Amino acid sequence: MTDKINIIPSGDSILIIRISDKVSSHQLNSIVDKISSANISEVEDILILKDHIGLFYNPYKTTYKKIKSKINSLLSDISISLRSNKKRNWKIPICYNSELALDIENISKTLKIDTKEFIKKHKESSYIVDMIGFLPGFLYLGGLNDSLILPRKKVPRKIIPKGSIGIAEKQTGIYNIESPGGWNIIGRTPLELFDKKSEPPLEIRQGDTITFYEVDINEFNRINNL
Amino acid sequence: MNNIKILRAGLYTTVQDMRRIGYKRYGIPDSGPMDEYSHVLANWLVGKNYLSETLEINYYGPKIKFNFDTTIGLSGANFDTHLNDKKLEINKSVKIKSGDILDIGMCLDGGRIYLSFSAKMKLEKSFNSLSTYDKIKIGGINGKKLTKNDSIDFIKSKEVILRNIPESFKRKYQEVSTIRVIKGVNYNMINENSIKKVVKEFKVSSESDRMGIRIKGNKLKVLNQNSIESTIVSKGTIQLPPGGDPIILMSDSQSTGGYPILANVARVDISKVSQIKPESILKFKFISLEESESLINFEKRKFKSKLGIDLSS
Repeated sequence: MTDKINIIPSGDSILIIRISDKVSSHQLNSIVDKISSANISEVEDILILKDHIGLFYNPYKTTYKKIKSKINSLLSDISISLRSNKKRNWKIPICYNSELALDIENISKTLKIDTKEFIKKHKESSYIVDMIGFLPGFLYLGGLNDSLILPRKKVPRKIIPKGSIGIAEKQTGIYNIESPGGWNIIGRTPLELFDKKSEPPLEIRQGDTITFYEVDINEFNRINNL
Repeated sequence: MNNIKILRAGLYTTVQDMRRIGYKRYGIPDSGPMDEYSHVLANWLVGKNYLSETLEINYYGPKIKFNFDTTIGLSGANFDTHLNDKKLEINKSVKIKSGDILDIGMCLDGGRIYLSFSAKMKLEKSFNSLSTYDKIKIGGINGKKLTKNDSIDFIKSKEVILRNIPESFKRKYQEVSTIRVIKGVNYNMINENSIKKVVKEFKVSSESDRMGIRIKGNKLKVLNQNSIESTIVSKGTIQLPPGGDPIILMSDSQSTGGYPILANVARVDISKVSQIKPESILKFKFISLEESESLINFEKRKFKSKLGIDLSS
């Protein structure tokens, strides 16, 4: 499938790998697994973005041309009909209580939709992890219902509590650490999905699917205190 | 106990090494020294592997009391530095006796200096590394910058040979720095007027930190901001936010970004960027990827032949 793989450099230590066919981030995952299992010592890290792969290499150990041809030959025998069997679904509790869902009332006004209706529409969708990054453990989820799309907040909040779940544009985002941020906060999960003391610190991968189930504030507190 | 005591912390002093690799996929930056070049030299002065931990000292340094005999190395920008009230030269290894007091004062030219120890810091590693990353409080001392009365325990090492950094490795920190860059993946999206401006002089903004260095003076615009998709970024990536003032991402940068990528700093010049003081002048010079690779190769050979350091190890 080499002819379908397009590799370009970004600076002197990053490769951007694209597959010309329409592939899901799911299949990109299999490609990443293939590169990872080859244990190429020049490769420092691999990230999967929505429709491409970013690969960090150590330019003191190799050059762009060498690493590119290594990756190309590694992927030459991969068939494009990759069917990942590592598809995983995560069921994540979310509490939409207005104490935690800092923006839910404003959203309901802006979108002219009842809060109950908003919650129903948000939790009935199945989401896919498009990307991880921007902050440690931050998850970008695709799959938001079209009727719930709205821009980021004009003025970002100084502090968004850990576990907060927000929406912006076409995505849902999960803040797994406390941070400043501009997403519209619609709820919070009591789960600690990111653990800086664990290896790996995050079990969820790009391409995994996520469904939310609603918990009330009592259940939120119970899980939170486990 | 073999330890040091922090009598004064300085402006922003942290423990950094070059060993956190492979966690960007979880959104955790490599962190590590802003100026890897000086970090490597400081470690060479005390006979340690170039990846080992040092103290990164910014603009105004700490005052440190040693409670054991060891050897230290200092490399980077010039700071007003004294050992027991006697002026101390940098870029050479220095023997320290228990009871000595090292006072690293104001920065005199660049921005950062690295303090290495022949002994090993006894601190808890996070993700294979001692690098401090304060956003999630990992590395260093409880994930934070040094504060007064902190102490760091050490595991003593054997005696090391005293060394001087050769002249050809010493850098001059000037008022105008030319930084070599490679065109970024979105370079062709900036408008014609901006293409003329990008090679003019920029000023380094004081709103810079370990995540990124902001520069200003020439507002740059892209043709179609909305068509940009998030992609991978790293130390040395130059982003162009909608405001038009570029940001050069540094050690604690995020791993993905949605702003257009104007350029990427050539690997060998990233350490120079980190030493440009706020309000000083920076100019970009565009080079090709191949030129950047030959600069890397030249640096690699120089470190190998003159200092015996294998930067590809």
